[in-house]
Amino acid sequence: MSNLSATEEQGRMQRIGDQAKVYAARMRLQGAMDQADALDGIREIAGNLIGTEEVAVFKVDKKRSELWLYWSFGVDPNKHAVLEVNREPKLKQALGGQAVFRLRLSNENLLSTDDPVNALVPIVVNGTALAVIVLFRLFPHKTRLEAVDREICDVMTHCGGRAVAPYYSH
Amino acid sequence: MPLVFVFPSLHSIKGIKEMPKKVLLVDDSSTTLMMEEMILKQRTNYECVTAKDGLDAISRAVVESPDLVLMDVVMPRLNGFEACKRMRLEESLQDTPIILVTTRGEEEYVEAGFQSGCNDYITKPVDSFELVTLLQRYLGE
Repeated sequence: MSNLSATEEQGRMQRIGDQAKVYAARMRLQGAMDQADALDGIREIAGNLIGTEEVAVFKVDKKRSELWLYWSFGVDPNKHAVLEVNREPKLKQALGGQAVFRLRLSNENLLSTDDPVNALVPIVVNGTALAVIVLFRLFPHKTRLEAVDREICDVMTHCGGRAVAPYYSH
Repeated sequence: MPLVFVFPSLHSIKGIKEMPKKVLLVDDSSTTLMMEEMILKQRTNYECVTAKDGLDAISRAVVESPDLVLMDVVMPRLNGFEACKRMRLEESLQDTPIILVTTRGEEEYVEAGFQSGCNDYITKPVDSFELVTLLQRYLGE
């Protein structure tokens, strides 16, 4: 009986923690003062709430055929200057507006790069994906992205507009 | 036999609540501070005070005399290791439990934390259950 209560309490606390993370992520991005602050917010969320210090934002060109590296943290910018949509099917999928995550037991990479990519998170403004946040390697003690991480990514999709569209307001 | 009056302590009198424990949260990320504060406010009755870097943390700690310090390692101006060392030089903070929040759980990194005078560490991203359980352990609850 006491074990059950402990498990229940742990579950309850987990839910509160998850809600706090999602709320904090939303508040951080919605409260971003300007573009630089919004990009810093993405770095903070990736590092402190999701568990990666290797993150990059790629902005889509007008033809929607290429994405150019716009901002990065913890990754070599020379290695990831441009991504071609036709060569990256998962990226094409992300540009449709839905985040793409690396499957738990899959060794398949989401992009054709040596660096492991764990998520492709679109930034959607007025119904159109203007950019994609790429989450590379996770912290060594973080083995996979959890359900709450996907919720946080969803927040970045819908509240991260100011990072790439400076005059965007929520 | 002399008559001895035994006065009950304030805490033992029914209806009088204990003073809430004070926790100093230190992080340069407003997102992390908000998240930690939300978790602690929902699951404990701790009073939270915040600081945004190591230097700020030392002055806040001296003024506020927290019961526990939960501090990030990588911060501008003064990192968590250095802030921890300097806090230990303050007489009023020598016995205050300090828990470092790190992004890395490797042995040498953890060792550096203990050498700086911290009592324990927790890794990012913070797990709410682990956080509350750890704080309760140090705050005797």
